[in-house]
Amino acid sequence: MKHTLRQVFESGKFVSGFAIFVAILLVVTIYPLLVPEPPLRIIGQGTFFEPGIYVNVYDSISAPHFTLNLDEAAERRIAGRLADRDRGAILTWLVGVGIPESEIDIANTEQLLDQWFSNFDPTVRIPGMTNADRNYYIRLNSSIQGLLSTEDVIIAHANEETASLEAAGTIRPSAYVNVGQIPNVRILPLGTDNFGRDVLTELVKATAVSLKIGFVAGIIATTIGLILGLVSGYVGGFVDDVLMFITNMFIVIPSFVLLILISFSISQEQRGAVTIAVVIGFTSWVWTARAVRSQVISLRNRDHVNLSKLSGHSIAHIIFRDILPYIASYVVMALILQISSAILAEAGLSILGLGPKTTEVPTLGLMMNWAMIYQAHILGKWWAYLPVIIVIALIAFSMNLMNTGLDQVFNPALRE
Amino acid sequence: MKGYRNYFLTKLLWFLVTLVVAFILNFTLPRLMPGDPVAAIVARMAQGMSNTTGVQAIYEQYTELFGTNRPIVEQFFIYMRNVFRGDFGFSFSQYPRTVADVLRTSIGWTIALQFPAIVVGWSIGNWLGALAAYRKGTFDKILMPASIFASSLPAFGMAIILLVIFAVSLKWLPTSGGYGYDLIPNFSWRFMWSVITHYQLPFWSIVLITIGGQAIGMRAMAIYELNSDYVKYSRFMGIKDGKIVRYVFRNAMLPQITGLALAIGTMLFGAVVAEVIFSYPGLGSTILTAVLGQDYPLVSATTLIITIMALLANFIIEIIYGILDPRIKAAQAD
Amino acid sequence: MNRVILDVRGLTTKYITRYRENVYAVDGVSLQIEEGKSLGIAGESGCGKSTLALSLMGYYFPPLHYTSGEIIIDGINISKMKPDDVRKSILGREIAYIPQSAMNALNPTQRIINFVEDVVQAHDSSVSKKAIYEKAKELFESLGLPAEVLHKYPVELSGGMKQRTVIAISVLLLPQVLIADEPSSALDVTSQKMVIKMLRNLMEIGYIKAMIFITHELPLLYNVTDDIMVMYAGQIVEKASAHDAVFDPLHPYSKGLMGSIIVPEEGLRSTKLTAIPGVPPNLKNPPSGCRFAERCKYAKPECTVTAIPLREIGNGRAYRCIFPEDELRRMYAKEAAQHA
Ligand SMILES: Nc1ncnc2c1ncn2[C@@H]1O[C@H](COP(=O)(O)OP(=O)(O)OP(=O)(O)O)[C@@H](O)[C@H]1O
Ligand SMILES: [Mg+2]
Repeated sequence: MKHTLRQVFESGKFVSGFAIFVAILLVVTIYPLLVPEPPLRIIGQGTFFEPGIYVNVYDSISAPHFTLNLDEAAERRIAGRLADRDRGAILTWLVGVGIPESEIDIANTEQLLDQWFSNFDPTVRIPGMTNADRNYYIRLNSSIQGLLSTEDVIIAHANEETASLEAAGTIRPSAYVNVGQIPNVRILPLGTDNFGRDVLTELVKATAVSLKIGFVAGIIATTIGLILGLVSGYVGGFVDDVLMFITNMFIVIPSFVLLILISFSISQEQRGAVTIAVVIGFTSWVWTARAVRSQVISLRNRDHVNLSKLSGHSIAHIIFRDILPYIASYVVMALILQISSAILAEAGLSILGLGPKTTEVPTLGLMMNWAMIYQAHILGKWWAYLPVIIVIALIAFSMNLMNTGLDQVFNPALRE
Repeated sequence: MKGYRNYFLTKLLWFLVTLVVAFILNFTLPRLMPGDPVAAIVARMAQGMSNTTGVQAIYEQYTELFGTNRPIVEQFFIYMRNVFRGDFGFSFSQYPRTVADVLRTSIGWTIALQFPAIVVGWSIGNWLGALAAYRKGTFDKILMPASIFASSLPAFGMAIILLVIFAVSLKWLPTSGGYGYDLIPNFSWRFMWSVITHYQLPFWSIVLITIGGQAIGMRAMAIYELNSDYVKYSRFMGIKDGKIVRYVFRNAMLPQITGLALAIGTMLFGAVVAEVIFSYPGLGSTILTAVLGQDYPLVSATTLIITIMALLANFIIEIIYGILDPRIKAAQAD
Repeated sequence: MNRVILDVRGLTTKYITRYRENVYAVDGVSLQIEEGKSLGIAGESGCGKSTLALSLMGYYFPPLHYTSGEIIIDGINISKMKPDDVRKSILGREIAYIPQSAMNALNPTQRIINFVEDVVQAHDSSVSKKAIYEKAKELFESLGLPAEVLHKYPVELSGGMKQRTVIAISVLLLPQVLIADEPSSALDVTSQKMVIKMLRNLMEIGYIKAMIFITHELPLLYNVTDDIMVMYAGQIVEKASAHDAVFDPLHPYSKGLMGSIIVPEEGLRSTKLTAIPGVPPNLKNPPSGCRFAERCKYAKPECTVTAIPLREIGNGRAYRCIFPEDELRRMYAKEAAQHA
């Protein structure tokens, strides 16, 4: 036993897969301790906030201000504000007044502004330009000027009695605050989702729930498969024929169809994560049953089993002592496979709208489902779906690696 | 020839038996769940619907057609009779369209998308896997991790990645649908072209997913065969490498065909989900709309159709396998 | 003295594994077989018997690689030839091979006759299929195999039949030397006897001129071959006539291997009990001195210092041990006395 374990842990593939998997498990257990927040709490008003560091504006006004005289500040300010649409409009203008398009680079803010200031004239009419366009250009010009201005901004608050605004302070364009001195800073490494929930917190919880679904489903499927395979292989005869008939039948009847039918028939309220896991478990035991059976059949007539039978050991003794240890590696491999395919099955089901009840906990599939329904992929909100896909792929990849590693340890023929 | 006929008949019988069982499951599984599914679903649907008389009409019509107020065995035979006539009743969510009508259009899309994609993916995957086993070296070192990665990626993941790259970022291909939303199906060039461009992304995402798994399988099979004793023996009898490679690939391909027959169900699942990602107007999207609209008759009929498709595909593959593997004929003859 | 058919000098080959390690599974093997003679090769599992058989063919493909040495078959030095020439004019024609698991030696999806056609045409593409069939039919029948076998697939043949079919195909081109790697170990006793009878018959009819027979079942060798060679960890440790090797082994390893046959009345179980304790050394880096030293009960410190040469003691006998012949005999006698 010890020797086998050592051999397994000497396989590079297995170890890398195992390391990835353990890392995922660690994150899933440690993260909630650091960020103890309900995973589905809606924190953002609005959909799909970009990943980033969110600094409370209110706090930064009252925080100590420092003056930093940085030359490129104004430039950056405009570069950051000038939307692609505005840059496109400037390009149209410049081309309209006769500047060759090859000389204009809309990504180069400094040059673009130079060109703009030297060429813009509100009285010039470019052919094909409507009045609305003209007004837009005038507004654009003044907002650029505003951004470039060096005047202070006045902070005012309303006096409760007179309802008039009273200046409470000024903010210079060169004022800075130290993020460390602002009490409310929220890092959203993966932004928010369509409901305004923190994607990272949600993702960690979803990973945990999906893994749980995988384990529950995997253990159910493996147990059923193991029992049927053992009975079928060891008892043989008529029992074997019947069980194999059933097994082969469920191999060709696609299990996902049964999964859809059952999940659909269970009402939404009863469809918790565990229920889904159980349903997946009950529809995916066939491969294990087949594999275990063929192993048991090849073991059934080995010398040590026959010896055990002759010495009058009970069936339980034979199965637990003389058969199970020999097929343990296959069962473990089957279990790993079942876990990862159960996670995928849950994801697929959820995308089809048949996932677990949506109000308590997220799952990887549900996150996918929400992202798809709110078209995150088409709107370019990558943080809502890409991390989910990566986590699913990582889990599957780590399990694949572990299985390939185990396979090479236990089936020397594959070692090349 | 007699051997093959026996094989064929066995497979045909097996096909029919599984079909019957699948049919029974399709009928009983929803009815095993607590409560009358039809009533429960109609009730739930009615909550959000002002037109209660309409719901009532569907419900009565459905009860009438499928005899849901009669004993279950009788219901089963009524259901079977209706299905044989192609009559699945009205769709709850797309009333007054019938289920048969909804399915008629989507089946075509699904078959035209999934079967070519799976066949192409299977062929390319096997070819690459065989090449990796034979060439070894760099080719193998690049192809294998890529395949393991591709097969770790869920089908929908592959679909989304392709969609984001080629449709959203590069804008080379449309993001969703089976054809331009502003077009009416006809045989004009414009429509055809639209269908072809919309076909690419779903097609290639299914192909890529299939390639990954198949290449890994084929490589393992081919390595196993290349190390087998008959290869060694043939070499030592002076047979040329080219000929031996032909033996090996033929033999390695056979289990891959059986593998395909057994995995067709799982593959269809991936493909159905990929359809949803692309809003492709096939059975996958039909399931999604049916589920969202709590459309019981439509879900039931769609799953039945998918099952029949899977069983039929399985049957056809087995038949082809029987022709390709000489051992089948030999073993069945006596 | 008869004509020497197979003359091997200092043959060394190695496996190069995926991790670029060298496994020296055949290390400096020399042997001669005269016309009409057969040689048995014995040794524990993993000592390099099969690798020796593969190496003797003179046709190498990864992971097995040729390192040094010469193979001369009937005067032709095949280790100097180009691989494709070896394939075309040596394999099957001068030297043929029956693999260890002949059960799986035939392509399962090909009829026997099609394989026979491929074999013949690989050496001479001008022969017609009809001529091949006639020739194969004649040869099969002369070896007591029904001609229908030719039209069958391997799955349709029983184990023993498959084995004999492989043997018949191997001698199809009338090679000088036949190497049979454990041709009988997977068979039941009756089939075993038939296979051995068939092999001896081949020599008698003159289909082959010399034979190498590999096995780990020693009683079998005694009845089948003229000479016996014992291998350990890729090297020859003893060469002798079949009688001497069995009844008067010199090397402690041969002694250990043969020990079980001399007391047959103790039954099969004792074979396992008297098996030599320990496992063969790892061939990736074999011990520098005597390779058997760590398992040898007579070993002394000098044994592990330098490589031990093969000692020729005349009469075709040789052994690889640091002890002189008489001292070995003395030690064995002393031990036998203690036992009795
Ligand atoms: N393809 C290979 N790559 C690397 N090492 C190998 C390979 N095949 C065999 N070996 C090693 O070469 C040594 C000799 O193996 P070989 O098969 O020749 O032994 P054997 O005496 O025929 O054993 P057996 O009685 O089990 O057939 C063993 O240590 C084995 O591990
Ligand atoms: Mg061997």
